[in-house]
Amino acid sequence: MFGRMIRGTLLRQWKKMLMIAFTIALGASLASAMLSVMLDVEDKVNQELKTYGANITVVPKSASVLNDIYEVEGGETTGAYLREDELGKIKTIFWAFNIVDYAPFVNVKGTLEDGTDVSVVGSWFNHHMELPTGEELDAGIASLRSWWEIESGEWLDEQSNENAQIAMIGTSLAQKLGVSVGDTLHIKGSASDGDFHITGIFDAGGDEDDQIFVPLNTAQALANLDGCIDSIEVSALTTPENELAIKVAQDPSSVTVSQYELWYCTAYASSICYQIQEVITDSVASPVRQVADSEGAILEKTKLLMILITILSLIGAALGICNLVTASVMERSSEIGLMKAIGAQNGAISGLVLTEIFITAIFGGVIGFFAGFGFAQIIGQTVFNSAITLKPMVIPIVSILVVLVTLAGSIPAIRMLLRLRPAEVLHGGR
Amino acid sequence: MKKRQMYLRMITASLMRRRSRMLVALLSIAIGATILSGLVTIYYDVPRQMGAQFRNYGANMIFTASDEEMSLDDVHQSANMIPSDDLIGMTPYRYENIRIRERPIVVAGTDMESIKLTSPYWRIQGDYPATSEQILIGANVAESFRLKVGDMLTVSYTPEGAVATDEETVLDNMIDFEITGILDTGGSEEDYVYVSLEDLETLTENKGSIDVAELSVQANSDELAGYADKINDSGLPVLAKLVKRVTASETTVLSKLQALVLLVTVVVLALTMICVATTMTAVVAERRKEIGLRKAIGASDSSIIKEFIGESMLLGGLGGIFGSVLGFIFAQQVSIHVFSSSITFQPLLIPITILVSVLVTGLSSLMPIRSATEVDPALVLKGE
Repeated sequence: MFGRMIRGTLLRQWKKMLMIAFTIALGASLASAMLSVMLDVEDKVNQELKTYGANITVVPKSASVLNDIYEVEGGETTGAYLREDELGKIKTIFWAFNIVDYAPFVNVKGTLEDGTDVSVVGSWFNHHMELPTGEELDAGIASLRSWWEIESGEWLDEQSNENAQIAMIGTSLAQKLGVSVGDTLHIKGSASDGDFHITGIFDAGGDEDDQIFVPLNTAQALANLDGCIDSIEVSALTTPENELAIKVAQDPSSVTVSQYELWYCTAYASSICYQIQEVITDSVASPVRQVADSEGAILEKTKLLMILITILSLIGAALGICNLVTASVMERSSEIGLMKAIGAQNGAISGLVLTEIFITAIFGGVIGFFAGFGFAQIIGQTVFNSAITLKPMVIPIVSILVVLVTLAGSIPAIRMLLRLRPAEVLHGGR
Repeated sequence: MKKRQMYLRMITASLMRRRSRMLVALLSIAIGATILSGLVTIYYDVPRQMGAQFRNYGANMIFTASDEEMSLDDVHQSANMIPSDDLIGMTPYRYENIRIRERPIVVAGTDMESIKLTSPYWRIQGDYPATSEQILIGANVAESFRLKVGDMLTVSYTPEGAVATDEETVLDNMIDFEITGILDTGGSEEDYVYVSLEDLETLTENKGSIDVAELSVQANSDELAGYADKINDSGLPVLAKLVKRVTASETTVLSKLQALVLLVTVVVLALTMICVATTMTAVVAERRKEIGLRKAIGASDSSIIKEFIGESMLLGGLGGIFGSVLGFIFAQQVSIHVFSSSITFQPLLIPITILVSVLVTGLSSLMPIRSATEVDPALVLKGE
């Protein structure tokens, strides 16, 4: 009988029920869209902030002390190098998945035909790597130096020009030397020399505008530094540093074992640095504060902003649903009056109305959840050009919200109706 | 005149009599209006507020000497060409080679107060120097000389022209500095030591010239380029350049963030407005009986529609007023909690919010009223 009554209401009053379901679907889609975006915004903005370049630099242990202090320029006399064959290991650390990009650098001194000294930097441009894990990765300065403006020519493509003598040159040096794309520069290094074909001129807006960038192996050949690199720049997705991270970074022995493990297993810039030092022999990895700290500040602000907007829209969705449910329950006063008149008990009436509303709510909630996830995808694709990942915790939050809101909207209305006297209601008065 | 008075009385009386129902509707409209005015205010303020956050990345413009030497006055004069509201900080640097325990080190003479503004990411163990004869040293320097905060450090400078023979080294200018802080940046700054410009003047016995000045300016890259051109054309011996790494990346990230807030605002607004509309539809639809009664006693369709629309619009207007106030309060709270600064008030938003709420409520009640007036009064009154 109960089932038949419910089926009856749902079928007879399908228009009204559809409207309730529609409103609940709207509210639920709003809630799930905002929650999905909010929970994913940190990752997405973090990816965007990678345009600021590397947030970790790795240098040889002794060089970190010696470098500029003695004003040794060019890196040839410091005598300390990192090993090129260990570069792949960076992608094997605990937080390997967070390493977005990295590139090695070797600085050599070159002399041009007319006797001018130039600074030649060897690096990866779009180096292709096949990792032991089976992953493939294109790393190098083409993405690490995203702010470079290519004035003429194009980015050096090292994949299709293996071992070719090609170079990119900074704009101010190009002007000084009066060279343009397509010209050939004869560069004499300390060990060998070569004719470099210029493929592109870049404007970096900094010191690099006075340098020549060539593929790593050709720069090493110029100075007979096979397998040696001066520094590595790493771009990693990191978690903003907190008290613990600062404490461990200053003195690892000051924390308990469990705190240490928490630190090691969190993607702080300092713990990623530590793990890089573990795999690269005699290296010192340090976070670039300018990038790492600012990233943290911006990420936190963005997240907080999204949380507050989400809370506002959740409240809006909740009140919207609540309102409509109240309105639609109150509308059924005469029906409830009739039920009371023919002897229905309060409990039975409440049960009936609540069940109807809940069936509608579940229907609307499920549709709304998928619609909301669709909205989140639209936002993700339009803004970040990537999909928003579905966080499992959105499902329970949205379901609890829908249940609570439906209850909060219907119970006071039902109680109010139960207090009314059947005769009055049926008579058509208040 | 009489007719209008009657009309107004009918509308207000209907609102007052059905107080609880109307409150429900009003609440829903007010929420819609709050979300509208709150989110739009935030959307308009985000570039400014977020832009201020991006200044954490430090300088986005630098001054270098063009041909002649650049004096501190030149630098200040150039910096004054940038509106003072936009200029967050300007730090001049003068670099000299000095010696510490007979080892050559680069010292930078600068203004410690403005460093905090242009390089907020510097991490100092200890404090910035506050008075003269105090020094800030890079972490690498501290490590190689085994120095710590509180130690005294003798810095010596060989005046220009002095020949460094054994007898003449005693002619070096020397100052004892107290180390107040050790600098950690993860960059080459860790290899330098920092003193105030005045101390460096005393040490070198000349006024010298400024090598570089770093500026942190709150502006987008086009405005920045405009400022740089203005300074470069001014005839001062200053060459203003943009720090491309910071400006280019800021433009990319900021535009994404703005697009994010815009899209979120649009989605939230669209859904909220539909929500308001369905509530209004429900509220009007339940009054079919009333409409039937009016028709039965001879009211024309158009007068019924006019009255009901008037009622809804009055509700819409009230909700809009509440909403625009609440929305501003919300936006203000968000701004204070997230960015610790107050939000700019957008006066234009109040009439827009009210207008939108009036339109949404009016339109959303039009449809159910129409369908209600089309029904035969007898059927409605009978309760079918």
